[in-house]
Amino acid sequence: MSLLSLSNVTVRYGRLTAVRGVSFTMAEGEVLFVTGPNGAGKSSLLRAVAGVVAPAGGRIDLADHDITGRSPETIARLGLSMVPEGREVFGSLSVEENLLVGTGMHAGTRGWRARCETDLAAVYATFPILKDRRRSQAGLLSGGQQQMLVIGRALMTNPRLMAIDEPSLGLAPNIIDQVYDRLTELRRHRALALLIVEQSSTRAMMVGGRMMLMRGGEILLDGDARALGQSEAMQSAYFGYGEH
Amino acid sequence: MPGLLQILLDALSLGSLYALGALGIALIFGVMRLVNFAHGDVIAFCIFALLWPSVDVVPIVFAGQLPWFLLIPFVLAVGAGLSVLAELAVFRRFRHANPATMMIASFALGFVIRYFLLMLFSSRPKSVQILPGLSQPVELLGARIPLLQVVTILVTIAVLLALVAVLRRTRFGLEMRAAAENFTMARMLGVRANRVIMGAFAMSGALAGAIALILGSQTGTADIMMGSSIMLMAFIATVIGGLGSLFGAVLAGFLLGGVSVAMQFALPLEARPFRDAFVYGAVILVLLWRPQGLLSGRAAKERV
Amino acid sequence: MLRRGSVVRRTIATPIILSALILALAIFTVWSGSRPFNQTVIDVLLRVMLVVGLYIFIGNSGVLSFGHIGFTCLGAYAAAWLTMPPMMKGMMLPGLPGWLIATKLPYWVAAPIAATFAAVFAWLFGLVLMRLSGIAASIATFAMLAMINKIYSNWSSVTGATSSVVGIPIVRDLWPYVIAAILCIVIAWAHAISRAGLKLRAARDEPVAAQASGIDIPRERLVAFVVSGWVTGLAGALFAHSLGVVTPDTFYLAMTFMALSMLVVGGMSSLSGAVLGVLVLSLLIQLLRGLERGVDMGGVALKIPNGLQEIALGVIMIAILMFRPSGMMGNRELVWPRARRRRAADAAPRSSTNTQPTGVHR
Repeated sequence: MSLLSLSNVTVRYGRLTAVRGVSFTMAEGEVLFVTGPNGAGKSSLLRAVAGVVAPAGGRIDLADHDITGRSPETIARLGLSMVPEGREVFGSLSVEENLLVGTGMHAGTRGWRARCETDLAAVYATFPILKDRRRSQAGLLSGGQQQMLVIGRALMTNPRLMAIDEPSLGLAPNIIDQVYDRLTELRRHRALALLIVEQSSTRAMMVGGRMMLMRGGEILLDGDARALGQSEAMQSAYFGYGEH
Repeated sequence: MPGLLQILLDALSLGSLYALGALGIALIFGVMRLVNFAHGDVIAFCIFALLWPSVDVVPIVFAGQLPWFLLIPFVLAVGAGLSVLAELAVFRRFRHANPATMMIASFALGFVIRYFLLMLFSSRPKSVQILPGLSQPVELLGARIPLLQVVTILVTIAVLLALVAVLRRTRFGLEMRAAAENFTMARMLGVRANRVIMGAFAMSGALAGAIALILGSQTGTADIMMGSSIMLMAFIATVIGGLGSLFGAVLAGFLLGGVSVAMQFALPLEARPFRDAFVYGAVILVLLWRPQGLLSGRAAKERV
Repeated sequence: MLRRGSVVRRTIATPIILSALILALAIFTVWSGSRPFNQTVIDVLLRVMLVVGLYIFIGNSGVLSFGHIGFTCLGAYAAAWLTMPPMMKGMMLPGLPGWLIATKLPYWVAAPIAATFAAVFAWLFGLVLMRLSGIAASIATFAMLAMINKIYSNWSSVTGATSSVVGIPIVRDLWPYVIAAILCIVIAWAHAISRAGLKLRAARDEPVAAQASGIDIPRERLVAFVVSGWVTGLAGALFAHSLGVVTPDTFYLAMTFMALSMLVVGGMSSLSGAVLGVLVLSLLIQLLRGLERGVDMGGVALKIPNGLQEIALGVIMIAILMFRPSGMMGNRELVWPRARRRRAADAAPRSSTNTQPTGVHR
């Protein structure tokens, strides 16, 4: 059974087509990198999956629910947690408040409060720095800390699929390493699928998993990250020598 | 020569009205970028809800006869109800519209409410007795001051504290603050947009009800235009306070009240009728100096 | 860059068609010979001037202004000061300077002076207001309206405060209003195709690109603000002559609401929309007024309560904003039927400038 499935999804902004008829499926617990040059349509694809943009055509299913054109909150409640590009912390809220925003969707269910506490403890265990700064304003954190915060915030919703847009954008290399260490660690402990958008394929090759290459709104290649990364086809597709 | 205490109380009680008004506007602006021009007419509607529709000079008091512990919740509920109705019937359709379109729509809605009242009650102001016990003066620090002023200030402080408590301590408050800062992100975390916006409208409407109660007991009249002068100052307070900042709106409301009362005493006698004109002029100059408002929040700067 | 001559040729049809519409209405009115209808049409023409004036600023700049009726107020009172009999001025408005009290000009001399008076204030206010943008600008124009209203409602020795100023010569002849309305349409058209107007619309559609290519947005906005201040001021002057009476509250929220609703219904960024909006809503207002007075329908008196006219206007305005936010005309103009096909091809790329992502959730 597939967790996420897209068939023939198209995204348009006015007359500009950002994603052209993309189809793929993702299994439960799978790691999928979407890479490609600037303007390939990666972020638009993610925004369509999260419900921020309604697709102009096609169909998206998440955990056996048709989510095409549904609202972001509905999709979030079905188990997708989005970490958008540029992090988007709630700057005026404290770190802990940021973490708690997403827990409301389970409010009122039995044992909700207790689960909030354990989830919070788990996130703090993964990112100890957040615990140290739990009372400070999120806007005052450094870029790396904010990236950890938004990942932690997404985890608090107990997602089945986490979609992350450019987690390494604007971060120092050693911080990026830390972020990815945490992500792989999380994967090991939970049944969590990751859909990660990155501009470069190096990170995907290091982490491993499946990788798709997008260009011009279409998927050009799809396969094992390490195998693809070394292939000739990858290089030519990425840099655009020879049209497919 | 009125005592300093009296001037201070005047400033605080006028500022209270402006602050409550500004808060009602800022709450809605925060979650949906709507400058709600209909807010003033919601205030007027709340007062007229106490009367039975008639175009006669002598009002037929209807809900106004309720004892205070029923009267106050009734008026607040009327305000909240009308506001939520406005959101459901009108503003929900403008979720994706640009701010100018929403502004005109709210302006039109305000006119619909105003002329609806005019149709039912005629444009003549009517006398109403709301909480008559409040109009007596009290002795405070050797000065005789109207009890109503003290109550107005205390009520405003209580409302502000309650609001802070709701925003800081409750789940709904957390969601609302998150939504006010970044609506899309909040929704991606499962925050229900419609619920938050409805809550903001309900709170804003209840604030309108509170203003209506205060104004009604201050003036002893129900007037269709009673909301509009307060509202203009409230709009200005929200802009000066930095659009979208609740704290800024409240502070700017008190500031405007203070400036107005100060001008009342500082201006020469023949210039006093023009007090509000001076305040508006000062506001335009302030905006020139700080277009984002005096106390603009980070969020406002990024997105407005 | 297009040359001026070709721009004129391409767009001249709009003012000609609109003027022809106005003229046809006027000729029909004179032919009918009805006095009340004459007065109604004068009201319509005044609204045309007012809404065209609003269009010059709002339509071209995209900035919403709630303040223009303030200029109408300035124009109306200036016309009163210039045309009232000196004796009445001396009694009612003793605070006016002596030379002004002694002045008595014919209305057609006074009106452009009054409009210029309004335009000067538009320039002064504009120097400050045009540096603001977005919501702050709109609220500031509102503050300006309230400021003008407060001053005129309280300065009893110069404006008579809230009491009516009477004794303004009444002009019942239709033609001056026809000429003025057509003049306003031509001014709006000339401004729209002028360098300033073209730059301003470019800045409205593509603010970043416009700024990058060196367009001074506040300056172009100021030009439009002053021109529209002149036109709305002229409308105010003639308004004073159409009634013979002015009060400050005539020129306040109700008039602002009416003018804005007509502009919105017609289409905010179209000159043809401004004029058509006035004509369509005026027709509706007339019908509703008739119903408010009561009509005899087969022996049954049908009468709607007072206030329903404004309620209906408000509801229509909201409905238009909901279902057709760009109004009747969108950003199109009336052109010759033959030219329409060619223009449609021209207009297509232009309409792409205000595209929005399809179906974006906020």
